[in-house]
Amino acid sequence: MSAPRWPRWFVACAGVTLALARASSAHAAADVVVGVSWSNFQEERWKTDEAALRAGLEALGARYVSTDAQSSSEKQASDIETLLARGADVLVVVAQDADTLRPTVRGALAEGVPVVAYDRLIELPGVFYLSFDNVEVGRQEARAIEHVRPAGRYVFIKGAATDPNADFVHRGQLEVLAPAIAAGRIEVVGDQYVEGWLPEVAQRVMEQILTQNGDRVDAVVCSNDGMAGGVLAALRAQGLEGLPLSGQDGDRAALARVARGLQTVSVWKDARALGARAAEIATALARGAAPGSIAGALRWRSGPDKPELDALLLAPVPITRDRLGEVIDAGWIAKADVCRGAAEPALARAEPALAVAEPALEKAEPALEKAKPALEKAKPAVARAEPALERGTVSARGATDLPPACR
Amino acid sequence: MTLLARGQREPRMLALTAALGAIWVGFAIATDGVFTSPRNLYNLAVQSSVVGVMACGMVLVITARHIDLAVGSVLGFTGMLVAVAQTEWLSVEAAASWPLATALGLGVGALVGAWQGWWVAYRGVPAFVVTLGGLLVFRGAAYLVTDGRTVAPLAVGFERLGGGLSGSIGAPASFSVAAVVLAVVALQTVRRRRERAQHGIASEPAWRDVAVLVVSAVCVLGFVAVMNAHEQPVTGEPRGIPVPVLVWIATAIGMSALFRRTRFGRYVSAIGGNPEAAALAGIDVRRVTLGVFAWMGALAALGGVITTARLGAGANSMGTLAELSVIAAAVIGGTSLAGGRGSIPGAVVGALIMQSLENGMLLLGVSSAARQIAIGLVLIAAVWLDASTHARVGKA
Repeated sequence: MSAPRWPRWFVACAGVTLALARASSAHAAADVVVGVSWSNFQEERWKTDEAALRAGLEALGARYVSTDAQSSSEKQASDIETLLARGADVLVVVAQDADTLRPTVRGALAEGVPVVAYDRLIELPGVFYLSFDNVEVGRQEARAIEHVRPAGRYVFIKGAATDPNADFVHRGQLEVLAPAIAAGRIEVVGDQYVEGWLPEVAQRVMEQILTQNGDRVDAVVCSNDGMAGGVLAALRAQGLEGLPLSGQDGDRAALARVARGLQTVSVWKDARALGARAAEIATALARGAAPGSIAGALRWRSGPDKPELDALLLAPVPITRDRLGEVIDAGWIAKADVCRGAAEPALARAEPALAVAEPALEKAEPALEKAKPALEKAKPAVARAEPALERGTVSARGATDLPPACR
Repeated sequence: MTLLARGQREPRMLALTAALGAIWVGFAIATDGVFTSPRNLYNLAVQSSVVGVMACGMVLVITARHIDLAVGSVLGFTGMLVAVAQTEWLSVEAAASWPLATALGLGVGALVGAWQGWWVAYRGVPAFVVTLGGLLVFRGAAYLVTDGRTVAPLAVGFERLGGGLSGSIGAPASFSVAAVVLAVVALQTVRRRRERAQHGIASEPAWRDVAVLVVSAVCVLGFVAVMNAHEQPVTGEPRGIPVPVLVWIATAIGMSALFRRTRFGRYVSAIGGNPEAAALAGIDVRRVTLGVFAWMGALAALGGVITTARLGAGANSMGTLAELSVIAAAVIGGTSLAGGRGSIPGAVVGALIMQSLENGMLLLGVSSAARQIAIGLVLIAAVWLDASTHARVGKA
């Protein structure tokens, strides 16, 4: 029997880990260590958040240490303990599940480490809540839809029933539309939650609402961009594309739809602004600033359990056709991605009209050639061609009517 | 071949169709006939097609005593590939881009399935574990294809596969399809009678075969008539059979033939019935198992193609939780989780039952939570009914 030996790969891994650990502790020159506990990196946006937060901390001379809980609330609790052990002076937490994190966060606060709840609410007195105002997202969606269709038959497509954000957004939508609903200008003909915010489920739900109402729907207040894509597919199958339709997130596909006039608004939450503010707030709190002294902070108590928290809620931006320039200027999306095919819908409308006009004209021509007796025969064909030609010309003109940002 | 002809021999099939009929009548009354309007039946057919296509493969997998939990993730992954391939790797305008992208998606689906099958068959890892891993792996891979970005718009020709505005084949082609299907059924009946006569076996009475043919004709022509009765919004032209439903019908007929008529299909049943006996009888159990998973992967990819075409976009969350509907459709259709017994026509009706409940409750404005409860309870009840009738038949 030979003596037990560690496999070679194990030794190599252990070596690398040790080397890395030493390297990371080597540059502990900064006075403030900011520990960031991410819930996951599964969605595209978190990379943007991380880059903004890191850049902000670097500029302020603070050190960034982070963990990724990989969507596990148990892992996140131990992650936070690890961050404290690594000497974090302040914590920024993107909570996977706020309720299960409470004991851990309470422990951190008891040690005198300030905690910033980033994007997702942690309802504990002493926590600083930094997020976009989700109720405001709903208000902006509803305002944009009501602006283009102040009265008519409305449909609400809400997010997952299990996600409190779905209700925050819907609360904002109702806040704006309640007077019109009460006055009878707006009639709600469909109102459904969509499991997991899934686009294909939203599509099925919208198909059924259209069937139920015999297509008599005037506007769709949809809570996010992914579901708006599904709703639009359902509308398109009935030739109804172009109905007022809202969303949020500033997805590329959604912004392209806004440029094409297929979606009214995409409410955009600039993750970079959130990351930058988090860097400022975390550094200030670690250096001993009072939470109330942060610019723009307010005492907030609208959470489900109504504890009073210091909070900073950033306002999102409703990106409509006329405001597409703002996302392009911010570098969120390339102009080419937004404007690709922006003229297409108008051209598509022009094409069938022109297609009708052309054969009619062709039929008219030989008749004209047959001189005066045949002219009588030609007249009705010409008359038939004219309105179609006019429609074609008008639509073709519409094709040059690009959103301002695309000109 | 037709559901009906089989229904006579399999009481389960008759019970399932009766259950579906009862659900339809119930919803038709509750919705003042909206549920059974041509438009809603068209919706229902298209909405059921994705789960229906995949359920045909799941019947094979479950019959062979395995399970595939990764179908929803494979759907998402291959759907994203098909979307990205036609818009970014190839040119959207090029006529050949979407057929190439579709072929790529189906190929990758088959490979992914074969890869999972290899772990199950040649490495002896239980299918539950392999495909549970696959569920995570391919959901992650779907995300990585574009780093989570939604891909849209897609090629115009491709969107026909989704059954939208231009996604149906029109009235003349629909009637042609019906004529071909009925001709094949009639020819098969004649051939069966002739063969039985040649071997001196008594055929079923002629009136019975004729009756079955007449009822089949009424069903097929009725289906086509309903699809034609749903009109295009502007032109008022009849829509005809939607392309995804045509794909589903072809898949069901093809997979049914594979399952019932080929050596491969009979091996699958034999392995499911008793793997040791099948191996002793000289069946290459491992190769057949790998084949079953490859078929499942290809059909999941076909589901991905239809979903993507229907949405007109590729989104990485597509197909989340679809595995549950697919397994439920197969099980409601009488496929035994103990293996050895499965029915593709049953799975087709199972998919229709699941989607009818969802569709009808949505028309009634039932909340999503209540819908989930109802569908869950129906699943349990359906399998209990099936198990209890099966036990009775077994005893008799």
